[in-house]
Amino acid sequence: MSDQLFDQFKTWYEKRHDYARAWKQRTGGQVVATMCTYTPEELLIAAGMLPVRVLGAHEPQNVSEPHIFGMFCPFCRDSLAQGLLGRFDYCEGVTLTQSCIQYRQAFGSWRMHVPTVQWDYYCPMPNDVQSPHARKAHSGEVQRFREFLEQLTGQKLTDDKLNAAIALVDENRRLLRQIYDYRKEANPKVTGTEAVYAALTAQFVDKAEHNAAMKKVLAALPGRKMDREEGIRFMTIGSENDDIAFMNMVESVGSTIVIDDQCSGTRYFWNESKPNGNPVKTIAERYCDRPACPTKDYPSHTRFDHVLNLAKDYNATAAIFLQQKFCDPHEGDYPDLKRHLESNGIPTLFLEFDITNPIGPFRIRIEAFLETLREDDLF
Amino acid sequence: MSEQLNTGDKKPEFWRWQENCWADETKDWRSAKAVTVGIDVGSVSSQCVIVADGELYAYNSMRTGNNSPDSARNAFKGVTEKTGLTLDDVHMVVGTGYGRVNVPFSHKAITEIACHARGANYMGGNKVRTILDMGGQDCKAIHCDDKGKVTNFLMNDKCAAGTGRGMEVISDLMQIPIAELGPRSFEVDEEPEAVSSVCVVFAKSEALALLKGGYTKNKVIAAYCQAMAERVVSLLERIGVEEGFFITGGIAKNPGVVKRIEKLLGIQAMNTKIDSQIAGALGAALFANTLVQKQGPLAPIAA
Repeated sequence: MSDQLFDQFKTWYEKRHDYARAWKQRTGGQVVATMCTYTPEELLIAAGMLPVRVLGAHEPQNVSEPHIFGMFCPFCRDSLAQGLLGRFDYCEGVTLTQSCIQYRQAFGSWRMHVPTVQWDYYCPMPNDVQSPHARKAHSGEVQRFREFLEQLTGQKLTDDKLNAAIALVDENRRLLRQIYDYRKEANPKVTGTEAVYAALTAQFVDKAEHNAAMKKVLAALPGRKMDREEGIRFMTIGSENDDIAFMNMVESVGSTIVIDDQCSGTRYFWNESKPNGNPVKTIAERYCDRPACPTKDYPSHTRFDHVLNLAKDYNATAAIFLQQKFCDPHEGDYPDLKRHLESNGIPTLFLEFDITNPIGPFRIRIEAFLETLREDDLF
Repeated sequence: MSEQLNTGDKKPEFWRWQENCWADETKDWRSAKAVTVGIDVGSVSSQCVIVADGELYAYNSMRTGNNSPDSARNAFKGVTEKTGLTLDDVHMVVGTGYGRVNVPFSHKAITEIACHARGANYMGGNKVRTILDMGGQDCKAIHCDDKGKVTNFLMNDKCAAGTGRGMEVISDLMQIPIAELGPRSFEVDEEPEAVSSVCVVFAKSEALALLKGGYTKNKVIAAYCQAMAERVVSLLERIGVEEGFFITGGIAKNPGVVKRIEKLLGIQAMNTKIDSQIAGALGAALFANTLVQKQGPLAPIAA
């Protein structure tokens, strides 16, 4: 779009390391590399730290192979590579909240082999969040993380500080949803690429600053005029996706990505917390209740209906699975989720993603998929 | 069958397949109301097909050069020389294939997936439901309806294994003209196991090891054809194979692969008298013809 409304987010995304370094210089606070969107960021924010999600660079790399297997998912390999290459050398700490085993191995290697890491914390969140014991167990883990941070900083993480952080992060979630609401409209005022910029930058920009930027965008969106065709409305499904080149390609060949179920998107911010007087419990329950990653979605598959409802609410015509190669949790869900969507009138396309992706062959698949969805004059 | 080979002092090119330019001598494009062109610029071969009033009239099939626009121009030039037809006489051009957006004189680009399905529908009739396109550097399994409209498809990923380029490499390695590979793959005392890898690089070293181990060349070719068949059958089985099975692309001309695919699937591929390699360009020209009928002719774009 030519009005540059989302340029602030784009700049943050493209210069994310510069942003974090500048934040650190400006505030004197610690920067913490976070490796999963189940990380209770509220604790880090309350401790005066900047949580920065580790993202890949989508460049060929040859540094991760000695540490983790080539059959680990590309996002894990790329995330580790960024650490090994020193791209996050401004981070004092690194933390992972348990989701999948590949991510845990990448985290383990990060803390062993990235020399600038001064401290690390592994938060062992239950994967069976549907268990009646999960919320209590996770509250215990959040409390333990709180105590670790108190010891690390020498400062009490008071309930007031936690409540303020919860309010700040919840506001961030609420504003992101308001931006996403514009994607429900015909020829949406927010493109898929712009939405990814907004949602991803929330994962490494200071929340107060990010909220202020979103408020500016929200003030301008009602009057925004789109200078592009809507085309076919797509949903994207998968784990992490920040392949902007891919998103731009998809939206340049006659389609708009209107919603996602990805941890780089809605799964990160979809639900706000429900304050209950106990901030630790409030934080823990919010993460147990969020739209589930496949690693935390059993014995019931809660995400199947959630994904279908998103597709319906946002009027998606079809869905694209952005499958990170070797991502077992998502591959495990794929056949059933595909069947669930298709039996409810949402056709799907499966694409397998690596660290770098061949745009040409992907474009053929996207265009061919679009051809099956359009009622052209060709027949 | 050897159409290659001794090219003066040059090294014999066993891989070189027959380029072909054909026109229907019984027809004259000048009497057609609609003349449309399909250009398929693939990774290995490029085709130009002329359709006159919805019927195949002429085509040219040749090796893709080092840039897509020139490959498209050269493919069209071949039919110009054969038929006297120029771009000024054409009502619409559709580009397809990997280089579809780089055909300088095309009015529209349509994916080769859609075009192969439409071409197969013309070549095999409205009973065609499952298409296997075995191209130069990729393989596609396509489902279509009775009009040739794609309903589902799958492509292999990022790898030339089990494709035309792989067969060219084996041809060169065995020093046997590519058109002879299929028939010779049956001249074996017993059917060998498939080579364990169809990766073009690994298959080459495996083939050499088999030769050293006492395999005849024919047996090595049979093992490679079997591996290629198994690979594409696994792709087909992911999407499912329905009756009305049609193979397009250069490998469709290799009975060593086709018959092994048929055996593995337990169904026969449909026959056609039309060169299987032109299916994509034919589909593109047929789409152009339909668009001309519905939207009218378009002014030519300079090549």
